[in-house]
Amino acid sequence: MNLLSRFRKFSFWSWVWFILGALYFLIPLYATLRHSLRMERDVIGFRAYERAFADPSFLETFLLSNLLAVATIIASIILIVPTAYWIRLRVPEARRITEFITLLPFVVPAIILVFGLIRIYSSPIGIPFTGINLLQPLTTTKLGTYTLIVAGYMVLAMPYMYRSVDTGMRTVDIRTLTEAAQSLGASWFVIVTQVILPNIRSALLSGALLTFAIVVGEVTLASFLGVDAFGPYLFLLGQHRAYEPAALSFVTFLLTWFAMGLIQLVTGGQGQAAGAH
Amino acid sequence: MAQTSLRMPVIKTPSNLKNWLGVTPFFLFAILFLALPSIYLVQGSFLDQNDQFTFQNYKDLFTTPLIVDAFKLSIQISAVTAIVGGIFGFLLAYAITVGGLPRSLRSALITFSGVASNFAGVPLAFAFIATLGRRGFLTLLLKDTYGIDLYQSGFDLYSFAGLSAIYMFFQFPLMVLIMVPALDGLKREWREAAENLGASNLQYWTRIALPVLLPSILGAMILLFGNAFGAYATAYALTGGRLPIITIQIGAQIRGDVLHNPGLGYAMAMGMVIIMAISLAGYSWLQKISERWLR
Amino acid sequence: MAYLTLSKITKRYGDALVVDDFNLDMEKGEFVSFLGPSGCGKTTTLRMVAGFEIPTSGKIILSGDDITSKAPNQRNVGMIFQAYALFPNMTVAQNIGFGLRIRKEPESAVTQRVKEMISLINLEKHADKYPYQLSGGQQQRVALARALANRPQVLLLDEPLSALDAKIRVSLRNEIRAIQKTLGITAIFVTHDQEEALSISDRVVVMYDGKVEQLGTPSDIYNFPKTAFVANFVGTLNTANAEVVDPAKGLISVDGVQFGTTKDLKSMKKGDQVRMSIRPERFSFASEEKKENVLDCTIENITFLGSIVRIQVLIGNTKFYMDTFNNPFLELLKVGEKAQVTCSRQAVLVLDSPIEATSPQKDLLETDGILGSV
Repeated sequence: MNLLSRFRKFSFWSWVWFILGALYFLIPLYATLRHSLRMERDVIGFRAYERAFADPSFLETFLLSNLLAVATIIASIILIVPTAYWIRLRVPEARRITEFITLLPFVVPAIILVFGLIRIYSSPIGIPFTGINLLQPLTTTKLGTYTLIVAGYMVLAMPYMYRSVDTGMRTVDIRTLTEAAQSLGASWFVIVTQVILPNIRSALLSGALLTFAIVVGEVTLASFLGVDAFGPYLFLLGQHRAYEPAALSFVTFLLTWFAMGLIQLVTGGQGQAAGAH
Repeated sequence: MAQTSLRMPVIKTPSNLKNWLGVTPFFLFAILFLALPSIYLVQGSFLDQNDQFTFQNYKDLFTTPLIVDAFKLSIQISAVTAIVGGIFGFLLAYAITVGGLPRSLRSALITFSGVASNFAGVPLAFAFIATLGRRGFLTLLLKDTYGIDLYQSGFDLYSFAGLSAIYMFFQFPLMVLIMVPALDGLKREWREAAENLGASNLQYWTRIALPVLLPSILGAMILLFGNAFGAYATAYALTGGRLPIITIQIGAQIRGDVLHNPGLGYAMAMGMVIIMAISLAGYSWLQKISERWLR
Repeated sequence: MAYLTLSKITKRYGDALVVDDFNLDMEKGEFVSFLGPSGCGKTTTLRMVAGFEIPTSGKIILSGDDITSKAPNQRNVGMIFQAYALFPNMTVAQNIGFGLRIRKEPESAVTQRVKEMISLINLEKHADKYPYQLSGGQQQRVALARALANRPQVLLLDEPLSALDAKIRVSLRNEIRAIQKTLGITAIFVTHDQEEALSISDRVVVMYDGKVEQLGTPSDIYNFPKTAFVANFVGTLNTANAEVVDPAKGLISVDGVQFGTTKDLKSMKKGDQVRMSIRPERFSFASEEKKENVLDCTIENITFLGSIVRIQVLIGNTKFYMDTFNNPFLELLKVGEKAQVTCSRQAVLVLDSPIEATSPQKDLLETDGILGSV
């Protein structure tokens, strides 16, 4: 009998914490939504959303952020998947230092990273003591700047991407699969396309979605590097308009929810945290 | 651990230069975009106005009021949000694991935590302005319905307290995401064995469960600390730079040498990196211990 | 009066009947095993004695007290878990002293008792180690000491050896039994391994599908199985379909070959279908002295298992396994040879169970029994 009464007592406090938490999280979201619907006096309407979406700057910046996200994802995959694979298969000694490297972005948050990137890449890179310039300052050209910011985003996303891919490879024991495929006569191309990629599909997807969420909302790198991304646009909007920012913020929230929900679906379990900005 | 069986020899293919070639792209990337920028900052921090080597910048870190205040403020807000965020986040994680809430609530909270921890930055600031700003939903609700005037009684969203409240939006979820696996790692048999030996529920928690979880909890709080410490966009979007936390000051320094001393600026940045590095080391060490117990 | 009584214990989960009318009287100091396959209800029954489950109906009485609904931390029973369940944040000594400290015993008494227990399990050198520094066998011994330190009235062991290596399993089970005997403590031991159950128990309860199939000494269970399940589950067994030939004389026929049995067939009629079983080791080669059940057979296969040689013989149209002790003369046997084997009437078991006849190959069941470890 005391077992039952004990159990009931458990659940009471659990509900208390849960409800408090729910209130804390949901009230701001509700407030945002509410605010976004009140553009026209006394009328609940989607005016704010209409105007927000109709703004050409919105489309430009949003599109740009999406493109940057896609570029980051593709570049990250190309860089990280072969590396993780190679380490698993051929150079296990490199694992420790690689994992250490993927932890560094935590020690070097976005503001510090952008500090360093700007200082280094705003002057030409050359061989010391000679007059030869290998690389013109990246920050002076649009292409250079975009390269720089994508590289910056790759650094920010690296811990999550690497961990996701590495865990995915470990779960399917990619090494044994490769050896099995080799013993059956498969070429490297076949191994990559039919053994590796399909098996880490969900890891790639989850890493990609997380990278997407990070990049689209990112403000620090974008504003300091002078890139017209969605983040700075949203910030600027907040200085001038009252209702449209709320609308877009709510949309951002829905988008993030959508991306995270997809990740849950794909990985079936643990959520992923990207941390503060 | 006592090994009674023979260890299988690790099958290592001879790792010669050719194999290391395979990881060069990654290392090259890390060097170009992580190491070099960092080294530049480190190097710069040791140079004075005449490009001579000096330690003065680091000494000045402790004497320049602007910097000292900024670090103090950042450390305070990070510590407060880490502790409060850690405690409440733990309670939430507890509620959905051992606390006996329905399974559906657990998945809902975990998914939401993933979302909320990514929602930081500009949208988050706007959301809270809409809630607790001068004309925010909650502010007006309290005034009109309950007669409580928040701003009269001294509350200000655009302050330390306000920013802390906002930071919780990603601190709580981060704590939840870290603690849920740890709480899952509490073996059911430990509680049963404790009960079997006569312990009450409270005794089980104080003597076994909490001590076992302590490394995870502390490690998570350190992570939360680092998380808040490095945040920039949220604070900037909220107060535009009026709240002088260290990241804001670094931002100001990047835009235009407010310190009139580039070397000092780099030292400031390095100070931040050092604090983050210490946090990371602390977290890693605590992770190792907790893994030993919660395996 | 019995020391521990489980009376009409039943446990239901929704519609599922997990334990059905379990009855047991145990004397003080007795060692009883619950033996059965996964899902038979043995662990659930044990957990009801421990208090982690409450019976749907029935009573549990320990030393005169009805403990059926008592909270687990109010009963004085000690539990050993399959996964050791040592508290990872405490040393060996601290783990062992845990129960005593909960009871607020004076510190000097605790230290003394912990010392006693540590020397009982021979781990003096490891007193300050943490669980993760110990092997599985060592951890389980600490778990044992921890439970015993509290001076429980009953010791409950839930498949304590299943997670350990084979060699450790054997030595540890003997150690457990020795300690139990020395301390004179009543014990219930749950296992799916019949060798464990048979080798260390005073009595064995064989369970299947929530019900008690048989309760008896190891020898009873092995030699005189009451049901087909017990006969199949414990030890290796030859089984075959048979027909009653002469109820009065106790004769049955396996596909034409007659076997005499001591089993009372008087309630049956000629022509009744039954299942016949016989242990492989009850066959021997016919000689002058042995005159019961002399059967002609052909030798089909000879397998050398170490101390035992397993010979597959064809008696009539049915294959039987015959186990005999290793003997260099067996080398002279050749496959295809004809021979005569004999078995006592008492060895021929007749079970009229509802188990359907399976193919002849499947009749010759092997379990991981005594012969499995050869």
